[in-house]
Amino acid sequence: MMRKLLLGLVFSTAATSAVIAAPVTLQVWALDEPVHFTENMAKEFEAKNPDIKLDIKLVNFANILNDTIRAVSTNTAPDLLMLDNPDVASVASHDVLLDLSDRIAASKVVDAKNFYPGPINQSTWKGKIYGFPRGGNTLGLYYNADLFKAAGLDPTKPPQTWDEISAAAAKLTDAKKRQYGFGFSAVATEESTFQFLPWAQSAGGDFNAINTDGSVRALQFWQKLVDDKVATPEVLVLNQPDLGSQFVAGNIGMIVTGCWELPRFANEVKFDWRVALMPVEKAGAPRASALGELAYAVPKTSAHPDEAFKFLEYIYSQSSRDWNEYGWLPLDQTATPKDPKWPEAYAVFAEQMKYARGRGPSPVWPKVSKAIQVAIQDALTHKTDAKAALDTAQSTIDGLIK
Amino acid sequence: MKRYVLLALAILFAAIYLFPVYWMYATALKTSGSIFKYPPELWPSQPLFQVSRVFAEHDIGRYLWNSLLVATGITAITMLLGTGAAYALANARGAKANVALFLVIVLQVLPPSLMVTPLFVAFNHVGLLDYPRTAVVLATAAKTLAFYIVLCRATFTQVPRELKDAALVDGNSHLGAFFLIILPLARNGILITSVLVFLQSFGEYVYSRSFIATRELQTATVNLATYLSANSADWVGLMNYAGIYVAPILIVFILLQRQIVTGLTSGALK
Amino acid sequence: MLQSGFARYLRDGKGFEGTLIVAAVLYLLVFAAFPLLYTVLMSFQEVDMFTLGTLVRPFAGLKNYTDLFQRPEFAPIVWNTVIFVTLSIVFQLAIGFALALFFLQDFPGSTYVRGLFLAGWILPALVVGAVWRWIFAGDFGVLNYALQSLGLIDGQIYWLSDPAYALYSVIIANIWLGIPFNMILLSVGLAGIPGDVYEAAEMDGANVFQRFLTITLPMMGPTLGAVVALGVIFTLQQFDLVAALTQGGPANSSNVAQYWSWQMSFQTYEISGGATVATMMIALVIVVAVIYVRSVQREQSF
Repeated sequence: MMRKLLLGLVFSTAATSAVIAAPVTLQVWALDEPVHFTENMAKEFEAKNPDIKLDIKLVNFANILNDTIRAVSTNTAPDLLMLDNPDVASVASHDVLLDLSDRIAASKVVDAKNFYPGPINQSTWKGKIYGFPRGGNTLGLYYNADLFKAAGLDPTKPPQTWDEISAAAAKLTDAKKRQYGFGFSAVATEESTFQFLPWAQSAGGDFNAINTDGSVRALQFWQKLVDDKVATPEVLVLNQPDLGSQFVAGNIGMIVTGCWELPRFANEVKFDWRVALMPVEKAGAPRASALGELAYAVPKTSAHPDEAFKFLEYIYSQSSRDWNEYGWLPLDQTATPKDPKWPEAYAVFAEQMKYARGRGPSPVWPKVSKAIQVAIQDALTHKTDAKAALDTAQSTIDGLIK
Repeated sequence: MKRYVLLALAILFAAIYLFPVYWMYATALKTSGSIFKYPPELWPSQPLFQVSRVFAEHDIGRYLWNSLLVATGITAITMLLGTGAAYALANARGAKANVALFLVIVLQVLPPSLMVTPLFVAFNHVGLLDYPRTAVVLATAAKTLAFYIVLCRATFTQVPRELKDAALVDGNSHLGAFFLIILPLARNGILITSVLVFLQSFGEYVYSRSFIATRELQTATVNLATYLSANSADWVGLMNYAGIYVAPILIVFILLQRQIVTGLTSGALK
Repeated sequence: MLQSGFARYLRDGKGFEGTLIVAAVLYLLVFAAFPLLYTVLMSFQEVDMFTLGTLVRPFAGLKNYTDLFQRPEFAPIVWNTVIFVTLSIVFQLAIGFALALFFLQDFPGSTYVRGLFLAGWILPALVVGAVWRWIFAGDFGVLNYALQSLGLIDGQIYWLSDPAYALYSVIIANIWLGIPFNMILLSVGLAGIPGDVYEAAEMDGANVFQRFLTITLPMMGPTLGAVVALGVIFTLQQFDLVAALTQGGPANSSNVAQYWSWQMSFQTYEISGGATVATMMIALVIVVAVIYVRSVQREQSF
């Protein structure tokens, strides 16, 4: 009702050449836990722009794409929403999102040259920018230096290759104490694709070359960690937040997870913890990491695209706070944090970001990702061997992206 | 003596059954590190009351109020439509009645997570999404109705036919017999089934999440689910919220449970 | 007093009762039949992510069905669904019935304690799923701890991540959730059996088991029919538990039809495929409903 009234209001004022700037309420769908980023930004933005209000509805990760599709199909989409970065292409390919390229080019606040290439590539489809990344995140190796010392490992020399990971993990494992050497997430969602691809990429594979020898070796490596019980079989159901909680509890010596965990770890971890670059297959092998983070998008149906973009500009202008306050790398490369918190971790992640590779972009990403998830789960449970599982995934993916 | 052995056994069964509820509250009192300890702490060694934190972070009162409104609406519609239908289906014979009963059962088949998209499309088409809480009430009542009808029908079958026949002989119409004789007799069964429907509706999630776009109108379950997001899993917070959320229901329920159970099991005629 | 035709119709028994039934059925047709028909329709169409808002889409014939049958996961998921429904129903019914009979006995506080079993009814499924996830956790879960302390198992059981156990873990949680419903309905049924029937049988020298077999079971027939019919439907609707506990994994080992349908519709956007699974579930429930209606007919012949 309100929406329609407002819509009517906008059209009628437009017809009478908008004499008064009527206050505008932007409907926003945000995925905001645990840091309340959008909500904080909205408060600051509203204070500076009293004629614009943001009505924020929180959505959860599992539902953002569904909600978007349903809303877009029925013309009930909000003015601004958020998508996981590999999904931007899926939605944009249906021509339902507003192309932001011109607005970005014309903006006095946003300078397209300063975007980190990874996040903005993920938001681009056929040369046009449909997503506005909130920032960028990537994976790293977190380790418990106290456990390293107790196991006779040198905490200043974290493992850098797969073999070193295996060896260190074996030393860090203590079955009696339910303590495991290594942890990753192989849960049957996007998270396992996100976690697995860097391993495959480091060995020369990728999402569209998922059954190469390197990809198979990567999956066999994961498989062996679980078979050897240096990683808990629970990796099959552990999502990344739970993986992080296990690390906080001191149950796992080393985990792979994203920089978004830094604020929480800094608060909750009671031991000496450190961060290292993602391991590679062999010394000298190419480095790789995943590229994550959400992106804002403006549906074509929005009646207030200018106000929505103005809010995005405000977010961009605050980029230099991203690292210290929220634990992710800024959208604007030049907005390096002053006096970064956790400086060693910042150095690692800023370096790791250079090797971060996107997923896709592909308009059928959810299906591509699902094929990879199935292969991971089939191999880790020994339903099939790694090679056969990845062959199946490859033929599915070939059928999808041709 | 035997009676006390039985009581002891009953308490033992209940204790085993209620363990998950206990575990919810025990987890709520732990720290986020200690929930991952092995062996698990059966009783939190350093209980930490975080209720106020959860209250401060979330406008729980508002969301509980929305849940209350929605659950009340669902229960009202279910009672209104279900009571008469249950009574009629308890009496009715023949093919038409069978078809009705058949439809009541079959139309429940799909979980809300699969019904929600078509409903969303339809509600949007007729403008119902502008009244999101009403939309939730209407959609959920279609889910609770079958349960209500089947349970209430069982109550009405226990009202002896002679009583109704006697009422008719006394000059009452069927309408009058229903309101004056049958309904008062089945009152317990109706009230109790309604309480059960209310308790279920209070936990409704899928429709509320999908139909209610405005934050102020969201229900407590939807708010609760924000604890499980991509980059965090605040299990202790979740358990605290859940604990707060079910507390009023538990209290009401403990106060009423004697009536609920005796009302249901002693038949319609007490 | 009441003069109009409709008023007379209402006063008449058939008319009054007919109106009551029609009102409820109409409501259900409006709010529940449309989504079902929409789903059935989609199972015969090609559906794209963004054509949800329209009914007119390319006709696909039986292609969605033949595609579905050819999927390698089809047979295992159907089998999982059969196990899920059967074991859930059998144990919910057995435990619910046992508890209903137990609490029928005369002892102090029986109604109070019985009320406590409604807990499973009160907690939102979302919360139930979260709590059971903690209980089932393989490395630090309290269930493994209890079983080890009792000496029943040696190592740990990975309830949620071992493909051999995952489905059964979901079933155990679902049984817990279904006990109150079964117990209440069966208690209502038991209360409806007149006490003098038992007294007569007792005088004839029938023992407890004979009485159960010759009186309780036959007289509970209709109630059991209702409980099983609703139980099958509730079990087929059990979505939140699967989502909270295993998400159908690992490697589909705990996947069941209702969750698979959702996964196809809302994770990989094979919306027609999801609708096809849902349509097959509808067909199954039609069979269950026919059985229920027939059991009700038997009840009327008492």
